Amino acid sequence: MGTQAEFDQMIKSGELIESRNEMTPEYLRELKHTLIVSGDTELISAPAYYLAAKRAPSINAFMTGIAIIQDELAHAHIAYHILEDLGEDQEKLIFSRDPKSFRYPYAFDVPLDSWTELVVANGMYDQAGFCLLGDIHDKCSYGPWKRGLNKVMAEENFHLRNGRTWMKRISAAGGSAKDELQRAVDWMFPLSVEWFGLPDSMKMHSTQLEYRLKGLTNDQLRQWWLSTVVPYCEQIGIKVPAHKEVRDGKDVWDLDYPFPCDFDPEAKRWDFKKPATWDDVLVRWRARGPRNVEMVAMFQEEFHKFRKTHQKNGS
Amino acid sequence: MTTNYKRVTGDAVEYEVFARKTRAEPLHQVGSVVAPDDDLAMAYARATYDEERWCEMAIVRKDHVIELWQPGEIA
Ligand SMILES: [Fe+2]
Ligand SMILES: [Fe+2]
Repeated sequence: MGTQAEFDQMIKSGELIESRNEMTPEYLRELKHTLIVSGDTELISAPAYYLAAKRAPSINAFMTGIAIIQDELAHAHIAYHILEDLGEDQEKLIFSRDPKSFRYPYAFDVPLDSWTELVVANGMYDQAGFCLLGDIHDKCSYGPWKRGLNKVMAEENFHLRNGRTWMKRISAAGGSAKDELQRAVDWMFPLSVEWFGLPDSMKMHSTQLEYRLKGLTNDQLRQWWLSTVVPYCEQIGIKVPAHKEVRDGKDVWDLDYPFPCDFDPEAKRWDFKKPATWDDVLVRWRARGPRNVEMVAMFQEEFHKFRKTHQKNGS
Repeated sequence: MTTNYKRVTGDAVEYEVFARKTRAEPLHQVGSVVAPDDDLAMAYARATYDEERWCEMAIVRKDHVIELWQPGEIA
């Protein structure tokens, strides 16, 4: 194990950390935490997307949905595999954890019930993933993860394109199809804005930034996301509750509703007249949402069933 | 590997996956898979690392790789 001074110097100089014996215990802890959030998010997107992909309007659309789900499982594998190299038990992480202890964004706990909602998820949630992972890919101080993300970035780009192409097509169709798209955007847009977490004004210190596990702050990532999603939605004729301002010669994206505010997950409805505190939001996040248990059971139950029959056969 | 638990598929081992996009470039490591035998490892590698149209792909058991030194070690 190197000294603290050697480690500090590596972080400061922009050098990549390559193995466990180059890390301090604090860095290892923070890296593992960041990887668990990433692995859990990729993993849970598979059942979330699958339950909606079943409503695909054609075989071709369904196959695209399945291809995306396969990508997400491979992305999860990358994160969990690195965790295994760092001493965690991958099987335990995936198959033996309590559903509530999974660390993916709350948005995935709200059911995607239609193909339209799935393509909005590709357009908005995958865009959020693209911003978060793109930043990590760019800045991450842990070499194996930075390299592993090459594949992830190429594929997230494809998910995003699928989402955008379909959103544009549905919007152009007009009528009830477009109304359904607008309704999906109405509840999914604010959930994606929330994805990036506490505003910088409330989060004084970020160990992740200090260790170069990421490069941008929550608000910077949120602004990046808004700067891609808002113009695109406007371009295809879909309304979103945000607009551009120019401040000090720079584009700034402002929300047209109190952030955060009250959300009813069963009705999939935001109440813009009811501002909330971040404490309220954290309570909602920790309680998890409607589909948490069902989705985790989808992969955990099969695993334990398989293992049981396997043991019975004496192998 | 720091753990020696048994996976559901038995004693699986790790394989490194190598690939390249064009004839002009050298093979490079694109990831790894864990599988109980070579055949499944090939299938996993092909299915998992399908982000490009590789002109070559190869896998090797990680425990067959002989490390001379690693980053941070003196050559
Ligand atoms: Fe992904
Ligand atoms: Fe994705």
